[in-house]
Order: sequence, then structure tokens, then C-alpha cells
Amino acid sequence: MSEYLHDANAVQGARPESLPAGTPPLLSLSGIAKYFPGVIANKDVSIDFYPGEIHALLGENGAGKSTLMNVVTGLYQADEGELILDGYGVTFDGPEAAIRAGIGMVHQHFKLVSRFTVAENLALGWSETRRWLSAAALAERAQAEAKRFGLDIRPDAPIDSLTSGEQQRVEILRVLSRGARLLILDEPTAVLSPLEVGELYAALRRFRDGGGAVILISHKLDEIMALADKVTVLRHGRVAGSHRVDKTDPATLVTEMIGRPVEQKTAYPRSAPRGRADVVLALEDVSFRDSAGRLRLHPLSLDVRAGEIFGIAGVTGNGQSELADILAGLSIPLSGKVHVAGTAMQGRGPGEFRKAGIGYVPEDRLHKALAPALGVTENAVMRVFRTHPVGGRMAYHAAAARDFTRSLLDQARVTVADPSTPMRGLSGGNQQRLVLARERMISHLALIASYPSRGLDIGAISLMREALAEIRDEGRAVVLVSEDLDELMALSDRIAVLCAGRLMTIVDRSGFDRATLGALMSGRDAGGGA
Amino acid sequence: MSLSFSKGLTRRRLLAAAGCAGLPLRAGAATRFAPIAEEDLLVGFGHTSPVNDGGWTQMHDKAIRALKDHFPRMRSLYVESIPYSADATRIFRQFVAEGAQMVISTSDYGDFIKDVANQAPDVGFLECDGNNVTGNLGWYYITHWYASYVIGIAAARLSRNGRLGYIASFPTTSVIASANATLLGARSVNPEATMRVISINSWFDPQAAASAGAALIDSGCDFLCGIMDDPGYLRVAQERGVWAAMWNTDMRQFGPDAYVSSVMLDFVAYYRQTIEARIAGRWRPAGTFLTLGHGVDRDAWGARVPLAIQREADAARDRMLAGWSPFTGPIKDSKGQVRVPAGQTMTDMEIFHWNWQVEGVSGLV
Amino acid sequence: MSRRTRLAVVPARRIMIGRALALCAVAVVLAIVLVLLGLPLGMVCGLVLKSTFGTVFGLENLALYMTPLLMTGAAVWLALRAGLWNIGAEGQFLAGATAAAAVGLFAPLPAPVALPVAMLASLVAGGAWSAVPAAGRAWLGVSEIITTLLLNFIATYLVYYLVTGPWADHVTDAQVSSQRMMLALPSVYSVVHWGGPVALALVVALGALLKRSRFGYELSLCGSNPDSARYAGIRVAPRLFTALVASGALAGLGGMMEVLGTVHRLQGGLAHGYGYLGIVVALLARQSAYALIPAAFLMAVILNTGIVLQTLQVSASSVLAITGLLVFAVAVSDELAAYVRLETKS
Repeated sequence: MSEYLHDANAVQGARPESLPAGTPPLLSLSGIAKYFPGVIANKDVSIDFYPGEIHALLGENGAGKSTLMNVVTGLYQADEGELILDGYGVTFDGPEAAIRAGIGMVHQHFKLVSRFTVAENLALGWSETRRWLSAAALAERAQAEAKRFGLDIRPDAPIDSLTSGEQQRVEILRVLSRGARLLILDEPTAVLSPLEVGELYAALRRFRDGGGAVILISHKLDEIMALADKVTVLRHGRVAGSHRVDKTDPATLVTEMIGRPVEQKTAYPRSAPRGRADVVLALEDVSFRDSAGRLRLHPLSLDVRAGEIFGIAGVTGNGQSELADILAGLSIPLSGKVHVAGTAMQGRGPGEFRKAGIGYVPEDRLHKALAPALGVTENAVMRVFRTHPVGGRMAYHAAAARDFTRSLLDQARVTVADPSTPMRGLSGGNQQRLVLARERMISHLALIASYPSRGLDIGAISLMREALAEIRDEGRAVVLVSEDLDELMALSDRIAVLCAGRLMTIVDRSGFDRATLGALMSGRDAGGGA
Repeated sequence: MSLSFSKGLTRRRLLAAAGCAGLPLRAGAATRFAPIAEEDLLVGFGHTSPVNDGGWTQMHDKAIRALKDHFPRMRSLYVESIPYSADATRIFRQFVAEGAQMVISTSDYGDFIKDVANQAPDVGFLECDGNNVTGNLGWYYITHWYASYVIGIAAARLSRNGRLGYIASFPTTSVIASANATLLGARSVNPEATMRVISINSWFDPQAAASAGAALIDSGCDFLCGIMDDPGYLRVAQERGVWAAMWNTDMRQFGPDAYVSSVMLDFVAYYRQTIEARIAGRWRPAGTFLTLGHGVDRDAWGARVPLAIQREADAARDRMLAGWSPFTGPIKDSKGQVRVPAGQTMTDMEIFHWNWQVEGVSGLV
Repeated sequence: MSRRTRLAVVPARRIMIGRALALCAVAVVLAIVLVLLGLPLGMVCGLVLKSTFGTVFGLENLALYMTPLLMTGAAVWLALRAGLWNIGAEGQFLAGATAAAAVGLFAPLPAPVALPVAMLASLVAGGAWSAVPAAGRAWLGVSEIITTLLLNFIATYLVYYLVTGPWADHVTDAQVSSQRMMLALPSVYSVVHWGGPVALALVVALGALLKRSRFGYELSLCGSNPDSARYAGIRVAPRLFTALVASGALAGLGGMMEVLGTVHRLQGGLAHGYGYLGIVVALLARQSAYALIPAAFLMAVILNTGIVLQTLQVSASSVLAITGLLVFAVAVSDELAAYVRLETKS
């Protein structure tokens, strides 16, 4: 396989407009079906993946994308249908078999050993790795591979010192160096800065132009439109449509994806004019250092007013989570003051913030805002267990807690047969909905929502956005942390941009502009300089 | 609370308690241990260590196996390595639950056996080294101090400097009696003889016994004795060229040149009589001492023990067999106080409960 | 090929079936070993059943075994609710027993006064014995597994020192024992004392308390996910401290029941591994405090089986082997219960 790529690299050049007639697909799926108890994960899926093509798979959460890719990479075996590789029917009885056949996957969560260096990680699973070898030899090989595939890496850097983008590059390089002809990427841009996204696109195009095939799993339409050659939409485990990208448009794709045309609104006008705007949350020269001693937030000041949606933009990992934690009382700032409705909150914990009416949907909901092993009821009452009717002076009223949970589930539009089932038994989307409904209920003053659309499908996202606008219209404040500029621009009254822990600027709605905001997110001044 | 009770008082009080509980003591006792057919008899034996420990328990086990020849239809059970804890109670209860009419523990289990005896008044209990007699519980023990005294005479004659070393387990009365008797024997021929004692907190620990032996030799002792189930210090004596006397069994194979003799145990006759009595319905709970020549004796002398010394020691043994007791006052304790006045002879019961070391013994209590 | 998948939520019924099968597997392995040892299987089973369930002595033994197991099991279970591993129930048990013995030996009080005092003393001693590991865990993040375990050895040797030294019995010369105490828990029937019913009541009360109290809710949140507990506004450290100290107090009370109810002397071998077996009981009981009762019962049956087997010359260590086998089988069955076969519909 690697000679194939080697040859392919040698004939690097412009991609032909269309493949020569008679070029066989690299991989064909024919009538694939996969069942789980009570669930049809995939049914009648037939797709051809050609060499020299970037093929996007689009679908909502639960549409069957992951299951299908698990079948392709040998993690699952199809219950029906055939995998045809280079014209021959194959079965992969494990991921190793798929890798040997030249199919490699870059997962959303990288499978790298964080204490090892880049070179050592590349050597893992490399079949020619000898029993004894020197660090220098490993580094030399890593460098050679990097050169071969045009991916820039630092062989002796430990993985945990790299940014997400660099780690992803290592992961891609590892898959390629094992001889992959078909590269599968699962939501590859979720963790990247705009600059890194551009680099990734370039690397993928280079690979494609060398004759490689790429499967891109994504739900970002603009990304698909920009990068992919073909797109296949999955819905309810079946193929809803397959198109050349230049022959289709986003609206068609969205319609196919959710079965009805949904336009995400670009603005959420107020139902009533904005009234008197008290400051509900104020930060004064707040900075934050993490437990490892790194300064995650440089001193910054901002205030959030009642009845506004305050957006916080930034590439993941630039201090937004730390800022959100401070606003919710979960983290104690290194310096500066936090005021809630004019009261200094020094020395007060999340309990007091909650009492003051601050709701919080943190980024890592499952591990920060939920107890996955406990029942839905225990999770539902997590923020109200002290107050009537669930809590008494010392008591915990289980029956009242169940009643409360039922009404909360109704509001969240989540159906759970038995509220005593553990939280981890719920889907990610339902967990998210439950947290959102719970926090909305307690946020008399303000709701802090970190990446609230993550894990939700398009239908649920629009409901969530309506909900945020409703909260605003009720005169409460919303702090919206997001990486999706469209979402921020649609909802926010003001947007603060964070980069590397610094508050770049706060932009008013009238000054919203994609290019400017994008530049600020990647550390450049609004002027668009270096 | 009852720290001031003497043993006698304790026993009397317990008898009174048993009486209060409505257990007939004398009249009932006769019917309780009525004659029983040999094939119906089930006897449970409880041991403190494994039956192949090479010492104390092995000698009991040997005697129990010999019972099979006399009573081929009798059934028996045994449990070895019974801990000194509430589990001992459970094991004795289990014997009763399985239908035993006699329960014999070959070591001292105190309350653990007494409690069970009180709960099972129709079952006969015997405790070796025990000290309770109730309506259905008795005890037996060997008067090993006479054999120790005989060996002590040989020790004083064999030792060049009169310094004896004693490897003890715990400072219990049996151990104290053994050490005291050995030194009294030695002092009968060499009034300057002394004894240094090291306790190793175990009855079976060859490693610890060997290091204790080596330490005693290093401190100048040239005769080792003690009360161990293993030949640990005998090997050391053999290596270092000093003398050693043992306990329980003939261990000369482990140190043929160093071996002097051993306090030899033999429970065969006693167990046979006990079972005979139980079958015939004659068994009654009592305290029994197995005397010199009837259950306990010195072993055949070691090959290198001069004949003259053997004779001198055996002369004392003959006098004891004829009724003489060497444990006659004045006997001073290690602080120099006269504890047994001149002309007074200690009873076996007093020796059995000896809780002070005699003059010349150091390191025991 | 692999047509199985792992359930995120395992129904209780699957767990129960799995555990029943695990118990059967243990029984089969045990039977094979007994046959290999040359013991007639039928006779052994009959003897075990008859001696354990068919005699008054057997039933009394079960009750006496269950009492300390319930207490140490409850202690370990309570700590587990807070996500803590109390490996030190053995030491806390001994600390409680020592405190109770001190009252029994030296306090010239009438029983109606002395028993509550001894109970209180054992609670305080057991709690105090776990207080240092608890504080270390709650505020400094020192692993309670190590600290509680190490304190076991200190407790054991302390008791040995007391019962061979200052508290040694010089009246009847019982080895490594204190004098027999006159103060005793009243009897329910024969040797079965009130410790058993009290332990049962405590376990039931503990279950109800944790289910219905705010503290119980907070504790389960702290145990399940300390981050989300902080998020919920709970101060985690004091909860962990309280839970581990209460766990120690329960174990200490168990020690008091054992020394004043069953053994009547402070003794070197008093704890008998109940602290460690408590871990097994708590693991078997899983989420439910009420399940501690059958778990302690099962453990008591195993211990009593060990006694019976000893009369057949099977070593006392067999109990440990059976317990280990049981824990292993249950762990495997709990894991396997999570896997379901994928049905292929056509």
C-alpha cells in the first residue's frame, strides 16, 4: 500500500476535473445494514468511495454515521450487505484487518499516548518497528514520514505539549504512515483554530490529489461545501441523498438531513423593546491560573446586563471555559472581583451563585454538571435539592424529587421511561437538554451556557436558540460561549473575543462581521494585521 | 473488678454459677456420662498446631492414632491449627453439633472451651493444660518438671561454665515451671549455675529459635534448652559445639553430637484409659496429672553424654519415681526472696501454676 | 463474530441472574476441589447444611458471625457511598473494641449505664481511628486506601501490647487476652446477644437515612462525581470527612458488639479479619444498604462452612479461597451481565 502512496505522491499535480471513465471505486458499500437491540443503526446503505475524492458524510447525531464508519473500520461487522475493496468482497474481523487493507481513521478524540513523544507515538503499531531502537532512529523515521506526506511535526516533542491541531497532525501522519489509502476523519475541525483549519484543508487536498480517498464526517455545512467533492446525507440510518458538491446547495442538504427544510435564523429580534439594563454580572480585573500554574486568563473586566445575550467567541481552549467557571462561581479567580447584581462574591461558592440566580451549562456537562452513575432524578434535582419541596431542613423528599423530575423532563421534552435509570443511559442530546432545562429554571438573573449546541441536532439547536432568546426577552441575561460564529452573531447583543486568555475586544451587534471576529479569534487585531 | 480473685475462687464461683443455671452437678453427672457403645462414640480432638508439627501436637496425634488399635469402631474428628480466638469456640461447638460425646483439646483454650462446655452439659470436655473443672469439663497435664529437673542435673555437669540458655515461647506458667525445674536440677550439683531466657513468642519458629540459640551461645551459654516444637536451636548447638536438650520428641537426628536428652511426651496410655472410662460410663471430669514415667519422661541419653553423668541424673529420677520431690524449700525467687520456706514441698498444682522465676533465672518474667 | 454489545445501564434482574450463576459456578468449583481432595461430596454437603441450618449451634454461629460482618460491611458501604475505600475497618473495629473493653474492665458502673457508655466510647474510638485518614483524604487528597490500611497494623499491635502487657489476664492465664469482663450485652437467646438485632436495625436505619436525608443525597453526589457535587454547591471535603469518620464509628461499634457480646475478653485475634470481610460484604451489597443483610448472611454461611470443613481437615484458609473465588466470580458476572447478544432481525 505504501508504494501506492509513494507513487501517488510522485505524480502530485492538479486534480483532474473528473475521474477517467472506468476508474473503479476504492471502497464500495453495498446494502449495508447494522442492527442493535430495538434500533436500526444502518439499513440499505450503498455508497461508492473513489480514489482522488473527498467524500463527506452528513447527518444529525444518531443518523448512523458513526456506526457505518465502525463497520468500515472493522469495529463492527455488518449484519447485511457487503464491503467491496478494489473490486473484491472483504470482511474485516477487526480494526487491524481494516488497517492492513489501507483504511485508517482519525478519531475525534485522538488515540495518542500523551506522555510519549511524537516519534514514539508514530512508532506504535508500525509493523516494522524493531524490538530495540534508539530515540534518534525513531525521530529520523518520523521526520522522513512527515516529509513524505508534507505534514510538519516536531518528532521529539511530548504529545501533551502540543496543541490540538498539532496532535491531529500527528494522528493523521500516523494513519498515513501505516499505509492508509482511505482516510476517515471524524469532525476534524471541531478542535482547530481557523489557521489550523486552513492547514488541515491543504493537507487533505494534497492527499486527495495524490490519489487518496477521504471520508469526512461532519455536520458543518460550510466545511463540506468548501472541502468535499461529494456528499452523502444519512438520515435514520439510510442514505437520504448523494450529490456532487458543486451540483447541490446547503438548503437541499439540510432538508435531506432533517427531513424538512430548517433555516437557522440569523437573528432573534426582541419581542419587546429592551428595558432598563442593570448590570447583573461584573468582572473587575479578573485573572486565573490553573492548577498546573499556567495563566489561563489575563486580567480582564466586563459586565453583563439584564436582558442581553453576551457572546463569548474564541477557539476552544483559549480561556472561555475558565471564564465561564468564574462567572458561575466554580473557579476562584487569581485576582480581581466578581460581582453578582452588585454584590461582591468573594469567598462564595457555586451554591451561593446558584442562590443568587446564576444558572450554568458547563462545557463538559456529563462530568461537571451531571453524575453519570446516579439516576435521572438525582441529576434533575442537583440544583434544587436544598429548597422546598425536594429539600427540608435535613431531609430529602424522594417523592417530591420524582415529581420535580417529571415536570423538568416535560419541559426539556425528554422522554425517560424510568427516572431512576442512571444518567449515562441517556443519549448525549437528552443529557444536554436536561441540563439546559434545569439551569434555565434556576437562572433568575443569568444563564451561562457553554457550547449549548454541542451534541444537539439541528432541530434541537433551533429550539435551544429560541429558548435563549426567550430568556433574554424575560429580562434575564445570557452568557453564550460558542465557537460557532453564526450562532453567536445570530443571538448575541455583544460579543467578547478571547484569544490565549486575553480579552481581545468586545464588539457591539452593529459591529458584527465574520472576518473581523475570525481575525480576532486567531489573535490578529481587528484591523486584520499580522 | 475481679483482679483479686485467686484461681480457687474463680473455679468455685464458676461452679456456683453452673449450679445456679440448674445443672445438676453430682447426681446428674452419673447419668450424663452413661455407658456408650464403642461404635456410637464420637470424639473430637482440637489441636493448636498442625498434626505434623514435629512436637507437641504430633505427640498427641500419635496417641490418637494409637487409639484406633484399641477402639477400631470408635469415630473421631480432629481440627488442627485452631486459633486462639472466638473461632476456637465455633470449632468446639461444631464438634458438639456433629454429635461428639467427648471433646478433647490438646492445648489450653480457656473460656473458648469452657463456654462451649457450659452450653453442652451432656458432652464431656477435657482440656490439656487447662485449669477448670466443672460438671462436664476436666483437664490433664504432664508433670514435665520432674523430667526437666533430671535433664538439669546433666546440664550442670556437661556445661563448663554453668551458664544455661533457655529458648522460651511465652512466659506462661508451664514454661516458667520448665525453666525453673531445669535450673533447680542444675543447681543441685552446681550451686553457681545460672539460666538466661529468651522468649520468641511462638511455639514453632525454627528461624527465631535458631537466632535466639545463637544469641545465647554468643552471650556465653554452652548448654541450650527450651520448649520448642522444632529442632531449630539444636542445629545451632550442633554447629557451634555446645549441648542442647529438647522437648516433646526425640530429635537427636538433627544434632547427634549436641543432643543430651528431651522431655518426652507419651499420651497413649492416658487417652486409652479416658476412652475406656467413657465407654464404660465411668468417666468423670477431673484434673489429672500424668506423672514421671506415665506420660512424661526424659529421652534416652545422647550418644556423647558420659555414662557417669547419665547415672548421676538417673539416680535422681529413681528417687523421684520412689516419691521424692526435689521442689522442696528453701526456694528463692530471682529477687532473692524466699518463696518456698525450708521444709515445705511444692505440690504439683503449685508447680503447674508457677508464675515467678527462681534465683538464677533471668529474662523470663 | 462479535455480536455482543455492552449496556450502559444494566437491569437489576440481569445482575441478579448473573450473580446466581456466579454462586453456582463457585459451588461447582468447590465441589470439584472437594472431590479432588477425596471427600465424599454428598456427605460434606449434608454435613454443611445440617451443621449450619439444622442445629441450634449452627444457627447461633450464623447470628454471631453476621453481627460483626453487618457492622463492618455497613462501615465500608457507607464510605463507598462517598466514593471512599475504607480498608481500615479492621483497625477501627479493634479501636472500638478496645474502648469498650476499657469501659468493661475499668469503669465501676452498673450495666445499664456502662453499656451506653461503652457504646459511645466505641463509636468515638472507631471514628477517631479513621479521623486522621479522613482529614488527609478530604483536605490534602492523601489516598485513604493506604492510610486506613496502615492504621490496621497499628491497631492490631496496640491490642497485642495491651493484652500481653498492661491489660493481660493474670487470673486464669489466658493467652494474649484481657481478663474476662463481667459487662456483657444482654442475650437474645443462648449465646446470641442483642448486638445482632441492633446491627440489623442500624443497617436498615442507615439505608433509610441515606435515602431520605439531604446528607445522603449529598454523599451520593460526592461519591459519584465530586466535580458535579461542587457544581451543585456542596462542600465536598467536609462530607468526605464526615462519611469516613462515621464509617469508622460503625466499625468501632461492631468491635464493641464483638468484645462485649461474643468474646467477652479483649484479645489479639479479636478482629478475625471482619474488617476485610466487610469490604466483601459491601461489594456484594452494591448500591443498597438493605442488601448488606443477605450479603453478610452469605459471608456468615461461608465462614461457618469453613468451620465445618476444618473438621474434615480442609484448611481454615479454604474460607479465604472461597471468598476470593466468590468476589472474583461476582465481579466477572457483574461485568458479563452488561453484555447482551445482538439480535439480527431480518
